[in-house]
Amino acid sequence: MPHYHPDIDFLTAHVAGTLPLAQSACVAAHLNYCHECRRTVSGLQEVGAALFERVAPEVVSEQLLDMTLARLDEEPPLHFARQQAAGEKTPAILQRLMNGDFADLVWKKVTRKLAISYLRTGDPGHEFALYHIRAGGRIPLHDHCGDEITLVLQGGFSDADGDYHAGDFLFRRSGEEHAPTALQSEDCICLGVLDAPLRFRGWAHRWMNPFVQLRPG
Amino acid sequence: MSPSGSDRQDSSIATPRGDEWSDCLLAIARSADRAAFTRLFRHFAPLIKGFALAGSRLSANHADELVQEVMIKVWQKAAAFDPNKAAASTWIYTIARNCRTDLFRRLQKFDTPLAAEDVAPDGADEEPFEQIQSRRNGQRVRELMAGLPVDQAQILAKVYMEGKSHAEAAAELDLPLGTVKSRVRLALQKLQIQMTA
Repeated sequence: MPHYHPDIDFLTAHVAGTLPLAQSACVAAHLNYCHECRRTVSGLQEVGAALFERVAPEVVSEQLLDMTLARLDEEPPLHFARQQAAGEKTPAILQRLMNGDFADLVWKKVTRKLAISYLRTGDPGHEFALYHIRAGGRIPLHDHCGDEITLVLQGGFSDADGDYHAGDFLFRRSGEEHAPTALQSEDCICLGVLDAPLRFRGWAHRWMNPFVQLRPG
Repeated sequence: MSPSGSDRQDSSIATPRGDEWSDCLLAIARSADRAAFTRLFRHFAPLIKGFALAGSRLSANHADELVQEVMIKVWQKAAAFDPNKAAASTWIYTIARNCRTDLFRRLQKFDTPLAAEDVAPDGADEEPFEQIQSRRNGQRVRELMAGLPVDQAQILAKVYMEGKSHAEAAAELDLPLGTVKSRVRLALQKLQIQMTA
């Protein structure tokens, strides 16, 4: 059960369809782990439906009805296998974006302990990437020119503020700095969504900054 | 949230009532019933069109295109509708929302491997208890909606119906972003939406 959740603004925007795609995909992945947020989302969906029922109706022509009816024969009803219940496995949305499993991805080595794999969501304003941190490995102290969402997928990590485990959703605003360290017991995989590049702070890692460019899309 | 309050509603919702729109969807799923489809169309098409035009980002032609697309999805996917999980209008709303998001992205030449439906599916399976809970929430939300102060209802409509981000809503209403966020929160509290964070 995750302990860190997207706040209600994130969930509302996710349900209303106004959240940028990469962030929304990250919220969707969190829902896979989080029963409580699924319940909130279901309530927010009811709010949308209640507003939809009261929206000012617009006149629709009979012609549009006829055109739609004429198309029905080409669009036979589909039959569905029951959707799988959400569970603790890799979120469906990620399986989709990865076309396989973590092992099938191209991982780019950044340091001995850290590798990154970029996934394409098509969101022009956000980078969507997986971070693989070896057990006990540390991501050098960095801050952000923009906002960062992190979702733990496997293992866990800690920083000055706490310990984070599978399903935990963290939001850091521009300017906050941290140096996450993977737990000692196992490798950590997390998903990071950024709208601006990281900035490494320590003198030993500052040379990396020119190489860390945002890769949206 | 008093126990007596929720007890009172139990009996009416534990077994979904055969409401007209759910029956139409079930008839489509059972026997590709075109008369049932026509009834649904006459009721929901004007709402979908209203929803399409609410943000005033779509032309009338695109709004008609959206109506067709949503109604054909409803026809095709009727077998996936489960009256135990959601009201017909909730199910149709989520389809309309996803189709609208996809249409916006197509118009912006947004090249993505994801459909809105992949990101926000029209209903994940939950335990039977959760389903009852969620139908009960749906009814409560509709009852409480009537009592919302105008300014709060207005913001919710901007966000949900017009598809405005909190920041866009703030700019349009000439309010600080913080005010918009707190009005949304207050409204959701009044509607008794549970918040984890």
